[in-house]
Amino acid sequence: MDRRQFVKATAISGASASLAACGNPEEQLVRFISDEPLPPGLAVTRRSVCPLCPAGCGVEVRVMEGDVEVVRDGVRGIVKKGLAKKLEGLPGHPVNRGRLCARGQAAIQVTYHPDRVRQPLRRTGDRGSGAFAPVSWDEALAELAARLEALLQDGDPRGLRFLTRPLRSRRGVVISEFLERFGAPAPVVVDLFGDAVLRQANLESFGFHQLPTLDIAQSRYVVSFGADILGTWNSPVAQSVGYGELRQGRPGIRGKFVQVEFRMSQTGANSDQWVAARPGTEGFLALGMARAILASGRRSPSDGGRAGELIEGWSDGLQAYAAEAVEQVTGVPAATVEQLGREFADNGPAIAVIAGVPLAQTNGLFNALAVNALNALAGSVGVPGGVRFTPVLEGLRGLDAAGETIETLARSILETPAGGAPPVDVLLVHDANPVFGAPPAWGVGEALARVGFIASFGSFQDETSAMADLILPDHSFLEALVDHVPEAGTARAAASAARPAMRPLHDTRDMADVMLDVGRRLALDLPTEWETYEDVARERFEALPPPEGFDSAWIAAQANGVWIGPEAPVPEPASFPDVRPRAYAAPEFDGGADAYPFHFLPYVSQAFLDGSLAHLPWLQELPDVVTTAMWSSWVELNPRTAAELGVEAGDLVEVRSAHGALQAPALIFPGIAPDAVAMPMGQGHENFTRYATGRGANPVRVLAPTVEPETGGWAWAATRVTIARLEGAGDLVRFGGALREHPDLER
Amino acid sequence: MPRWGMAVDLDRCTGCEACVTACHAENNIPTVGPEEAARGRAMHWIRVERYWEGEFPDVRLTFRPVFCQQCDNAPCEPVCPTYASYHTDEGLNAQVYNRCIGTRYCANACSYNVRFFNFHNPEWDRPLDLQLNPDVSVREVGVMEKCTFCIQRINAARIDARAETEEGRIEDGTLQPACAQSCTANALVFGDLDDADSRVSRLSRSPRGSKLLEELGAEPSVTYLQKGDWDESGGG
Amino acid sequence: MGGLAASVVLIGVLAGVRLISAQDRLVEPQSGSVFSPAHATFRDALAHFLGWRREPVQPIPFPHRTHFEEAFLECTYCHDGAARGPVARIPSVVVCMDCHFDVATDREPIQLLTSFYESGQEPPWERVYGWLPEAHVRFNHAPHVRREIECTVCHGDVTQMIVAEPAVDHTMSFCVGCHEQSQASIDCVTCHY
Repeated sequence: MDRRQFVKATAISGASASLAACGNPEEQLVRFISDEPLPPGLAVTRRSVCPLCPAGCGVEVRVMEGDVEVVRDGVRGIVKKGLAKKLEGLPGHPVNRGRLCARGQAAIQVTYHPDRVRQPLRRTGDRGSGAFAPVSWDEALAELAARLEALLQDGDPRGLRFLTRPLRSRRGVVISEFLERFGAPAPVVVDLFGDAVLRQANLESFGFHQLPTLDIAQSRYVVSFGADILGTWNSPVAQSVGYGELRQGRPGIRGKFVQVEFRMSQTGANSDQWVAARPGTEGFLALGMARAILASGRRSPSDGGRAGELIEGWSDGLQAYAAEAVEQVTGVPAATVEQLGREFADNGPAIAVIAGVPLAQTNGLFNALAVNALNALAGSVGVPGGVRFTPVLEGLRGLDAAGETIETLARSILETPAGGAPPVDVLLVHDANPVFGAPPAWGVGEALARVGFIASFGSFQDETSAMADLILPDHSFLEALVDHVPEAGTARAAASAARPAMRPLHDTRDMADVMLDVGRRLALDLPTEWETYEDVARERFEALPPPEGFDSAWIAAQANGVWIGPEAPVPEPASFPDVRPRAYAAPEFDGGADAYPFHFLPYVSQAFLDGSLAHLPWLQELPDVVTTAMWSSWVELNPRTAAELGVEAGDLVEVRSAHGALQAPALIFPGIAPDAVAMPMGQGHENFTRYATGRGANPVRVLAPTVEPETGGWAWAATRVTIARLEGAGDLVRFGGALREHPDLER
Repeated sequence: MPRWGMAVDLDRCTGCEACVTACHAENNIPTVGPEEAARGRAMHWIRVERYWEGEFPDVRLTFRPVFCQQCDNAPCEPVCPTYASYHTDEGLNAQVYNRCIGTRYCANACSYNVRFFNFHNPEWDRPLDLQLNPDVSVREVGVMEKCTFCIQRINAARIDARAETEEGRIEDGTLQPACAQSCTANALVFGDLDDADSRVSRLSRSPRGSKLLEELGAEPSVTYLQKGDWDESGGG
Repeated sequence: MGGLAASVVLIGVLAGVRLISAQDRLVEPQSGSVFSPAHATFRDALAHFLGWRREPVQPIPFPHRTHFEEAFLECTYCHDGAARGPVARIPSVVVCMDCHFDVATDREPIQLLTSFYESGQEPPWERVYGWLPEAHVRFNHAPHVRREIECTVCHGDVTQMIVAEPAVDHTMSFCVGCHEQSQASIDCVTCHY
């Protein structure tokens, strides 16, 4: 009841005298004894690691006592529990240095989400219908074990697959070991908007199958080719901390930041110079800069080392990449190419970095190799202020995409003739949603529908876990023991570890503990010391050198939230793959320029990343910084293009490719080329909690299944589309502008 | 007695909006949902404004975080009929929720559009409410609210400081509002403007510094440091 | 940050939470699936508006005087939060049982207390003091205890009471009067935020 209703109601009844008449004592709930000793009204600080992206920022969790209504032994009552209240960046963590991004701040809503799966569920309706009923853990695990036992009995252990997102914790080891002892193929790592292309390029150029660590803080010049270094890519908090120092952290030195892209991103908005190059030609521009450096005599080809040798024509001074040719291919004025090359060579240490659109092309690997060569030429590799590689200690390497992909898996299932047994009978899914994220042409949803039995460890129903026969809900990261080894973001080796920050709210279990439990049920030959996941995590930490003042790295990691390795020499590459030099090939786009005149540039959303965070209400209501849009999808059009099409802001438009169509409101966007349209990823969920379901459109629905041929990485920015205006307005909510009491009347 | 202020280095700010979510988490700011948001009723005590200039490809986009400027000559204060909006001795424009009767005069008077009104009782789908910060009030319908410079943290820091030393001085850097604590590029600096050595006062004296809509004479406590220019000779 | 806060941090780090198969499962509260500061019922709204509050009814007539005069307990022995932070807290039955495992086990109230303990429940003690949420009052015991303000100033002489009674009316003028006298801050946001 609000104040106004209250005043009205009092006036009508006019009776405070009747108070006693309605004064039934409220029903009293019993109060259970709490077994969590916490100081009343004061916060305690615990540690954790943010799980929302692979960066692995260290987190400080503010925990306070609070009353919670629970059922204990069948009785309803109230109990005091330790509750996480706020996440902060962990001071002293080498990756995020006490800072935390918007998504990390919102990670706490994962734990308290009203639509979390609260106990194991068994499917009761059709696959994908979302109809489930609760089931006990004992029943659920017995069912899963029986399905797996049947595979072993049939001598078909290869009928088991495990889908997971990339993992940088020892949970990856539990999965891999389980599969190996079972006799199943290695896990299929789902990383659709990932960096497989860049890792391969770094392996070929520098010998590290790894993302780079950018020492922006000590750099004087940074050129980013499409990389959203301050927003969503790689280790954005580490890179933003460095960016602050690049700009204003050193007296008398202010570094320059240049961004090359076709649609201005949040990162691009911060650049000192913004350069628009056509998608897929960024590598050509990088080599144009390299040629300018070579031609001016500032460096010689031998300075490029191995990375240079991988580029055809390098030793001859890159004759094919004269500034005029670069202008022709990329659209960047010749003078700008010369200027960028000169500045890059003269203002070292300088960093060139590439990610995003330029890699999601048919020539993505070449673009990456070109930027690597530019870095090598400038002497930026492995030096302070340059491009470095985080030392990764043996046994701490994460689980990354390799071998079978979701695309090949789906194809192998779909290629099974009707009536035949598909090659996958049991599928386990952990923290991956390829039904939402993969291009429709791969048929992931159709393939999953043919799998005999699917179990998901999901905390939420999403498009993929809705296909499951069993949902075995995992703890949230705050309720679990966490460990993490960053791939990048720190020049020193590091490994985070933390005990659970709070007790589980629901009847959930740690995915790794469930795998160990099932392993025991099947009498798999897993290490006997692995009773719980804690044993698995501790094992590797205890083999690390303990820092000063600690007996073990495990204790140190928990006390500080992170173990930091000793100052190590620059790691030596293990070996180089044997590859031939490459030449530039123009990017190929799906859809001819006549029928489909616009480049379609989807981008990883500031709020939702690839869509895995669209269920968090704080992020839905977070105004996108470049457009101020909230709770929406939109299509970005250049003002000139919009005028030509007769489209105004908010008008509903159709985006159509050779693979599908979608509808979304138009947004007039000055920072995009007239022959391109852009759209954020993340919305358009069909089934992903009350906050995301049925909201907006998913750009993936129109994307072509094109891949980068050498790595198999998905070329998600290589689709061309056509735009048509539809009748009416779309649902576009924006924070910017004046107060609008009646938005329906304005327009 | 300290006089609280903030410096915002626009040369560092990346527009990442960590501050926006951090503020929601710290200050029990509700989400209002898409329908109310479309009516302009979304609440963000801090927001990042963005400004476009030019045409493709010579286009510029700049960011500016905007929140209550804690003006010394605040237009919101004299218009409040119930003294719910008033000036504290430490230079804050305070908002006393239990005095507020919801006239919204203050929001109309504010030049910076940083005051937000609870048109409805805020709601949290359970158990999201378990995250609510017990150190901060949950405001009800009919009440105006705005950035407090995290007054709960200021008060807690003062209590801690007084437990430590007689004069109870809050050392520079020990106290940060949630936005500054999360700020990934270290663009937001908070502290005592009357302490000449504090980081915030040094930054506020920077030649790059200016106040937002300075000509209105509201005398904000927030200084914005303009973006620098790159200079190949090394300066900045 | 004070030494107090530092030690709290340390406890937090070392204690962490052990992974136990907690039996408590969160349920949807009886008050519904949405939390809001709105009054749940008309009766609540009216009662709050008029400042009407039910007399607390205690499950066991806890004799404060006996504990002070015969067991020589300080207030902060049981209300251990008062010296450390905002909340003094009603002690858990676990604290009671520290002594009453042995002491006065033949008395009926202690047997009742023990039965609560053995059934895993807290006695349903009711708070004697406290403000309504819409008063937006934030009170912190610790600075008052540090300034050596006697508990009796705000709570009456509880050492002479059997069941604690609301002996002092916690009006704003009561708080402000004392703050003015001792030259403590009377700025609104000292308490209202």
